Amino acid sequence: MPLSQLRWCGASCLVALLTRVAPLAAQGATVTGHVTNVAGQPLPGVTVSITGMGLGSITRDDGLYTFTVPAARVTGQVATLNARRVGYSPQNVPITLSAGTITHDFVMTQTAAQLSEVIVTGAGTSQVRERVGSVINTVDSTTLKRATQPQNVISSLAGTTPNVRVRTQSGEPGASAFVLIRGATSVTGTNQPLIVVDNIPIDNTTQATNGGDASTVAQNRAADINPNDIESVQILKGAAAASIYGARAANGVILITTKKGSNGPTRYNISSTQTFDHVVKTFPLQMLYGQGSNGLPGGCSTPDCNASSLTWGPLLAPTAPVFDHGTEIYDTGLTNDIALNVSGGTQRTQFFLSGGVTDQYGIMEGPNNRYFRNTFRLSASHQLLNTLTFGGNFSYFNTTGKFVQKGSNTSGLLLGALRTPPDFNNQPYLSSTSELQRSYRFPNPTSASLTTSRGYDNPFFTLANVGNKSNLGRFLGNLSANWVPVSWLAINETFGADNYSDQRLEALPFTSSSDPVGNVTRLDINNLEVDQNLTGTISYAVNKYLDTRIVLGQNLNSRRNQQVFVFGDQLIAPEPLAIQNTVSYTPTEFNSLQHILAYFAQVEADYNNELHGTVGLRDDGFSTFGQSDRTALYPKADVAWTFTRYLNNGAPQNRWRWLSNARLRAAYGETGREPPVYATITALSTTSTFGSGFGDVIGSKQSGQGGVVTGSNLGNNDLKPERNREAEFGFDFGFQDQTSDLSVTYYNKKSSDVILPSPVNAAANGASTALLNGATVTNKGWEMQFNARVYTAKNWDASIGGNWSRNTGKVVSLINGIQFIPYNTEGFTGAIGSSTVGFAPGVIRGQDFIRCGLGQTATLPGVGTMANVDSACGAGAQKNALYIAGTNNRPVVNPDEQVIADPNPRWTGGLNAIVHYKRLQITTLFDIRRGAQVWNGTRSALDRFGTAEETTIRSDTAGIFGKNVLGNQAVAGPGAGKVAFRTPSDWQNWYTTTGGSASPVQSQFVENGNFTKWRELSITYTLDDPWVRNKLGFSQALIRLGGRNLHTWTPYKGLDPETNLGGAEFLTQGIDFFQNPEVRSFILSITLNR
Amino acid sequence: MRKIGFAGLGAAVVLATACSDYLTGGELSTDPNRPTTATTAQLFVGVEAGTWALLQSDMARVTGMWAQQLLGTNLQYVDIYNYGVSEDVTNGFQAGLYTGGALVDVRKVESQASSANDTLFHGIALVMEALIMGTGADLFGNLTYKEALTGIQNPQLDPQMSIYDSVQTLLSRAIVEMQASGPTNIGPESADLAYGGDPALWTLLAHTLKARFLMHTAKLRPTVYPQVVTEASKGISDPADNFNAVFSGNANEQNFWYQFAIVQRPGYIAPNPQFVTLLQQRNDPRLHTYFNADLTDLNPALLAPNATQPLVTANEDLLLWAEAAERTGDNATALAKLNQARALAGLPPESGSLSGQALLAEILIEEYIADFQNIEAWNLYLRTCTPNLVPVVAGSIVPARFLYDASERNTNSNIPPPTQQPARNQNDPASTTSDATGQKCLGQ
Repeated sequence: MPLSQLRWCGASCLVALLTRVAPLAAQGATVTGHVTNVAGQPLPGVTVSITGMGLGSITRDDGLYTFTVPAARVTGQVATLNARRVGYSPQNVPITLSAGTITHDFVMTQTAAQLSEVIVTGAGTSQVRERVGSVINTVDSTTLKRATQPQNVISSLAGTTPNVRVRTQSGEPGASAFVLIRGATSVTGTNQPLIVVDNIPIDNTTQATNGGDASTVAQNRAADINPNDIESVQILKGAAAASIYGARAANGVILITTKKGSNGPTRYNISSTQTFDHVVKTFPLQMLYGQGSNGLPGGCSTPDCNASSLTWGPLLAPTAPVFDHGTEIYDTGLTNDIALNVSGGTQRTQFFLSGGVTDQYGIMEGPNNRYFRNTFRLSASHQLLNTLTFGGNFSYFNTTGKFVQKGSNTSGLLLGALRTPPDFNNQPYLSSTSELQRSYRFPNPTSASLTTSRGYDNPFFTLANVGNKSNLGRFLGNLSANWVPVSWLAINETFGADNYSDQRLEALPFTSSSDPVGNVTRLDINNLEVDQNLTGTISYAVNKYLDTRIVLGQNLNSRRNQQVFVFGDQLIAPEPLAIQNTVSYTPTEFNSLQHILAYFAQVEADYNNELHGTVGLRDDGFSTFGQSDRTALYPKADVAWTFTRYLNNGAPQNRWRWLSNARLRAAYGETGREPPVYATITALSTTSTFGSGFGDVIGSKQSGQGGVVTGSNLGNNDLKPERNREAEFGFDFGFQDQTSDLSVTYYNKKSSDVILPSPVNAAANGASTALLNGATVTNKGWEMQFNARVYTAKNWDASIGGNWSRNTGKVVSLINGIQFIPYNTEGFTGAIGSSTVGFAPGVIRGQDFIRCGLGQTATLPGVGTMANVDSACGAGAQKNALYIAGTNNRPVVNPDEQVIADPNPRWTGGLNAIVHYKRLQITTLFDIRRGAQVWNGTRSALDRFGTAEETTIRSDTAGIFGKNVLGNQAVAGPGAGKVAFRTPSDWQNWYTTTGGSASPVQSQFVENGNFTKWRELSITYTLDDPWVRNKLGFSQALIRLGGRNLHTWTPYKGLDPETNLGGAEFLTQGIDFFQNPEVRSFILSITLNR
Repeated sequence: MRKIGFAGLGAAVVLATACSDYLTGGELSTDPNRPTTATTAQLFVGVEAGTWALLQSDMARVTGMWAQQLLGTNLQYVDIYNYGVSEDVTNGFQAGLYTGGALVDVRKVESQASSANDTLFHGIALVMEALIMGTGADLFGNLTYKEALTGIQNPQLDPQMSIYDSVQTLLSRAIVEMQASGPTNIGPESADLAYGGDPALWTLLAHTLKARFLMHTAKLRPTVYPQVVTEASKGISDPADNFNAVFSGNANEQNFWYQFAIVQRPGYIAPNPQFVTLLQQRNDPRLHTYFNADLTDLNPALLAPNATQPLVTANEDLLLWAEAAERTGDNATALAKLNQARALAGLPPESGSLSGQALLAEILIEEYIADFQNIEAWNLYLRTCTPNLVPVVAGSIVPARFLYDASERNTNSNIPPPTQQPARNQNDPASTTSDATGQKCLGQ
């Protein structure tokens, strides 16, 4: 009825109207209310439902919940209204269901142990945490959201969970994050966990365009996900928990659950976050000595002259202008992040719609370090029948980036910047006459020098290179159906896909030092993963004590990867940086297809809520397994005993009150890692080359004739997946009504049949290597986690939490007595990543000096060949003392290669605290790592070039080994304690030969990489006063001030012991070679809810 | 309602059972990136490329240094020049006889040629097999041959002399097969970059190789000289028929000496003063065809990316003929063949009075000079102690064989550790005197 007519109606009309409205009201009851914590702050994410009716809603950021009960079910009966949220004690209140609005507010108290929550356990299964006999860690959305910077869901896990070791490559936009769960189990590959989003495995590859040592940073693909869409992250660490993912779960599984809509009025949520980044620390450089060698100036001024690469020149006049090349390349980075969520629904249909824009300008000067991400998502579900619900979840991500060349690359940013002498001004970076790049080694370029190397690129030239870009579009989605035909049977089907297309461009313009004629690389990656997962769950109560549940499942998976790589050599015109503008180009292509057909079964039994056990088996069929055994079986079993239930049965009520919950658990499981694709196939090669290791090679194609030869790698049709067998034991204690808790876990994992490239007899096989199952790796360790609510009062609430873990990894054996395998793409001659017997995978090998007390024999100056070092050291020599000898009183190089650095931490920890005061919340997080060594290759190089601050020691006229050179070490031998350095030339001679980056001995640059980082501080104020709604139209506004990486305590002499030359494309961590540092961030965020 | 649900379940079950071959077939079982079959011609291109690398890359440089025609002047090459070799330094040399581009693919060519009844192609492949295995026997001595490519664990090493015998058998058979004519005898045609598949040229090569490998056994079997004469007389006598490695000069198709000395490792090798002096003393014009004007590097013409590299030449054939003739007392033939070879090198003929030891000395020195950039210079030194080289390391001998690859030794228990490997191969007992001068041999 139009309103205009209403006026003309009289009272009778109003009655008529009401009678027409009244049946509507009589149709049901609206249940609504606010949920807050003890501090009075609204609690989002609380599930409020009526037990037994399947009706309910989830509270929004303002703590409000609303749902309706259909009239047919409103009979004035008493029902139980239940409120549940992870980390809070659940509450039940009786309400009388009658037509109209029923209001009930909840005040929830926090509990530390979260035993009653239902957690996702993978492959479509879920379980009450209390009943799971293995460790599954959960990181919730609020924790992830606080760790906004750097917008990478993997990075934001740092410090939150024991034995989940996260390392972000650098503070650059688009840098990848490496995560290792309970140690590396494999001696090849990067040992990254499987990532699963809403039951669909997704790709998390990190692939640098031109190799991880040089090139630019490359994102790990899980970072495409919008962190604002994530409800929670569960981490399956051990083999028992991860066994349900079989041969993809050797390194654990990270299960991501996205936010869903829920019943109630439509909600809006908009947030805007500004993050200001700046460099925490730049490399300490000397400002006293200028370019040159042996104290003489080394600059030059004639056209196209080459100047000295070294900064071993004269002492600069106090008035001479000097430049700090470490800081001049940085400014403040700014990230804008805007997120919008709309959600709501009816009893049968719910939706969640979100969009997000992240726009990051990096910390380096200029516009060419950027990261931009646009995301859209729609999640919806509809209950078609009372027994059948369909759901869908569709998201699209668009990620683009502009990057700066880095690392071991004469066109990389820091390599050129930090080697520049302090007396050379890198500005302007283009010559005013020729408009071509000038650098400290090539200061006066003429137009004739268009294709001449600059030695090292001017960092501002590197920053101005517009040729390094990526552009990714990605679709991720799934459809699901959930059918409960009878109360004891539930069938769930999920079908999903993850598809992305990533287009990369990497180019070097004319005059670039690493390729002065210029080049252009194009890389197009297309990846598609389709997954189908079907489960049937049968629940059966044998009697009133014994509950059982049987899950049967099937999984089909298909992965297709297509890559086209085109290298265009030699630019024609300076612009554009495009393939057709190159003299010649070589395309290469890679395609692969992998299938999985797996079945799994799991039987769970629960006795009286006290004793719980699970046994499971996955039968995995992979197309990548060898023909002789196309399937593999992965069993698991776990048991959990909540013995406080046993104790409290019949015990006086308060006798065990301090121990409110205690649980012992034990689990055993097996997981695997599939062989690389096509490793079973012996094939011919069109790309083989013949020649020597000195680089003189020819291909199998010659003079226009296509040649084909047998490949050097023998296919292995007996290749099996690697297998992890892991046992874990632990307990979970909750104290004092669950106000604090403690969990401790011990695990022991043995990985056998580990795949590695192994030499085979060429005479017998016609090929020299094959992938074989051969190595054995063990990992064992301890994990502890605690939470305690230390103080609770009206308006006040404070709690602390922490975690501690250690993992000891060891390569027990490789194959055929081989003692190590080098990772030739991870590091340098002299400091190369490897797996070495007796150490965890990923240790760095190189050379050391001759040392006393180790039973060494060596060629010693003045003594002769094969001399006994220990007797030359003399009786009083300390073990490990440097042997000093020769005319220059120097240490002696030990030619034997050995492990010089172990980048794996001895232990890691995290400490967090949360304080609530009225509407104010303060949280903080510290991240601690101990015992991980770092090879400081940056210092090694800068000592050689003479720009490192520590090279000011050159003025010292009495340099003595063990004292002020390679200090704090015991020394022995005829030269011990004698002066080795008297003049700057002596020092230069040392640092440019045995004492710097030209030295075979890189062990002298291995440093302690311990750190404690103040990872996070966040202060949030919630505004929900009536004026907010009245004046602003929002129910609530949250204002957050945050800081990330606020302070680092470390003895490390370089930029940051956490960063690494390679990102997640490297297994070897702990290599510092001219990569960018981590950043410190300040965050201002405003969230508005309606 | 329930029907819909059951239909869904039924569809899923059908999906599951229909996928019995979900794990095999198509791109699951074949690698879309690598071929699994190739034509005989394509395999042959690879074999030629592989053989050129075997005869020209590191092996020719290392033996050139040991024969003191080259000098090692930087890093590893200083060590190798000073006889500092371990099984790791030369790791890969031995495996290269068997892997892709070598024996494994020669055998594939042979098998495919047999199936196609192409005896020409088969015969040509046998010549390549003889060249590869004969070279292997020169370098390593005893080698896996009978059990090669059988997949047998720890394959046996066959005695070096038996491998030389097999080489002769292969070549004899090849010569016969290449003569046969028939519609299926097509051969490699243009895929043969050296000879264009010409059976006549391959037959010449087969005879010259017979002469070469017979000569390598002559120290133990002096009776082979007449056979060397017979074979050499049917071998390559015109440089236009030389067996050459040809390079287009494009990427991955470039002369090894160019790649090594110009691109990859400038400053690693230089002319050896011993050799320079020899050429200067003899007033040999090849001083400046081999080396640059200031004698600091190779001649730029040899260092072009598309420089043709001779592997088996008319000079070698004529001089083997001359040597064998002289050693069987046929001075006239020896002198004629020497002068023929000298003419090819742009040298005037030797006087007719030259005979006996003096003639032999001239022939051997001429062979040594002509074999520059070729493993044969070192082989010549080993069997004749010509020239009478002074070892660069006092008290050492000039290395007379290569150590087996570390990777081959580690995967075959029949290969002894380096310390237990012989210093010399069976065919090559140490010379007491230099064949050219008759003086005490200094380097063996």
